[in-house]
Amino acid sequence: MALEKQEKRPVAEKGEHIIARHLIEDDYIKEEKNLVIDGVDVSGRWNTFIRTRVDSEFDRSFFREVKETVAGSRINRCWQCGMCTASCTVTPLYRRFNPRAFIYMMQLGNLKELKKYVDVAWRCVGCYKCSQRCPKQVNPAEMMEALALLIKKYFPEEMESKLKVDEDVKKIYEDMILGHGRLDLAKLHTSSMQKMGRTKELIGKMERDAIFKMIKDGRAFSILKLGRPHNWGKSKRAIENYLKNANTLERSEA
Amino acid sequence: MEKLKENQAAYYPGCALLTIDRAYNNSSKLVSKKMGIELVELQGYNCCGIGEMKSKGAVSMYLPLRNMMLAKSQLGSKDLVMACSVCYHEFSRSITRVRENKNELVEVNAIFKEAGEIEGEFTPDGEARHILEFLYNEKGVDEVKKNTVKPLKGLKAAPYYGCLYSRPSMYTFTDKKPNLDNSERPRFMHDFLEAMGAEVVFYGNEVQCCGGRNVVQDEETSFALCSQTLSKAKKAGADFLVLICPKCAGALDVNQPKIAAKFGKDSELPVVYLTQLMALAFGFSKKEAEFGDMISDPLKALQEKGF
Repeated sequence: MALEKQEKRPVAEKGEHIIARHLIEDDYIKEEKNLVIDGVDVSGRWNTFIRTRVDSEFDRSFFREVKETVAGSRINRCWQCGMCTASCTVTPLYRRFNPRAFIYMMQLGNLKELKKYVDVAWRCVGCYKCSQRCPKQVNPAEMMEALALLIKKYFPEEMESKLKVDEDVKKIYEDMILGHGRLDLAKLHTSSMQKMGRTKELIGKMERDAIFKMIKDGRAFSILKLGRPHNWGKSKRAIENYLKNANTLERSEA
Repeated sequence: MEKLKENQAAYYPGCALLTIDRAYNNSSKLVSKKMGIELVELQGYNCCGIGEMKSKGAVSMYLPLRNMMLAKSQLGSKDLVMACSVCYHEFSRSITRVRENKNELVEVNAIFKEAGEIEGEFTPDGEARHILEFLYNEKGVDEVKKNTVKPLKGLKAAPYYGCLYSRPSMYTFTDKKPNLDNSERPRFMHDFLEAMGAEVVFYGNEVQCCGGRNVVQDEETSFALCSQTLSKAKKAGADFLVLICPKCAGALDVNQPKIAAKFGKDSELPVVYLTQLMALAFGFSKKEAEFGDMISDPLKALQEKGF
């Protein structure tokens, strides 16, 4: 019975059974067609091995840098159980998004590996399932913010090409919140659409319908009316000074 | 300085509720007043940071805590009630962090001192309260039952809590404090809906994420997550998806025409706020509850059900 089942199984791609296959390069996977160990035929599922590798390109100073930020202050607590990846909302949609692996790379300071994931690292939706279920309260959801800071500091060119949309939109949020103290939702929508090069959609039918609806029921007017809070200028100056004078990772880019 | 009376509470509206999500703001105030608590709006408040400021260190905590300070100096209230789940998360995050880390409290207080706008130092003695939890604990299910004059008979509602109302318990203290909700299986909205006579639908995506945070920069992800929730609720036979967060509305309601265009008719489901349904059950008109503001057209569905 068991044999029949095994025969029907489609031919696997190299190393397909390995969890988080994408984290291991092809050269490190060793597969044997027919393998007998101690007289037991183990060909099939158990014929795949990962070659021993030695990580030598790491740098602990990098770890300390993360630990000093507010978002990444709990990086030392992680013991790599993988609960964050198991409960992640984004991982089923993008298999290469793997919070556990990101934290591991940050702990080792393995910049070379980390660089390969710049294009997916920004996809976190901030749902905090990982932080809820983490047995060590590492707070992986905020660790992704620390990761963004690292990427910003060490791979500015990569960021320019792959993280551009996220960074641009984040900048719009930051300018609005620090500049006026409040969000202007209409301006947020139009300027982020412009940044993404989708200005044409702004005059499409769906957008026009929504805008017309809001003018009709008076909400468009209230959006324009929501001004800056009283005395925001004082807070603005204090925040700017704080960001200028500090010397950890999160402030070095400000 | 105007102090709060016995039956009043300090209320932080946030950026979305005074503008695009007027429906949630107005109905929250109506419902609270009917239940015996008047929400007094905070003046001169600022944005909570909506999760985009976490890479800015102590600034991410200064933004919400400035509002806590304002509430104390303006209204003499330690606690602050808010209806938005994202604001609730940012506030509870900041309060918990400065409570647990002395050096973060020092950093935040240094910014307060430099701004010199509000007198005194910040002391983390108040709490941020989500309106659902606030009404549930202060007034309770019986009060909802008592005030219901028009029971929502025959209306199938699918409660959607989203992420940040109950998660993470390291900040919100769900599971840890006895009067708060469960983090993985929240039930407060279920209880309220049942008290109003509506039929609650279980569909399995109650605490899933809608991708609301990335709704601007990563539509692809947000649409995929939203269509899962909408189609699951529809399949379970729901007439409405009931929300408690304006950011979820931004993803599930405002973008619904685009989601339906991409994923088909299965993803079309009227979306309403919990307080809107409560206002309807408490005898307010559909105009007062602002059902017309929602893009997913709950008015038509309500008419079909005979309301």
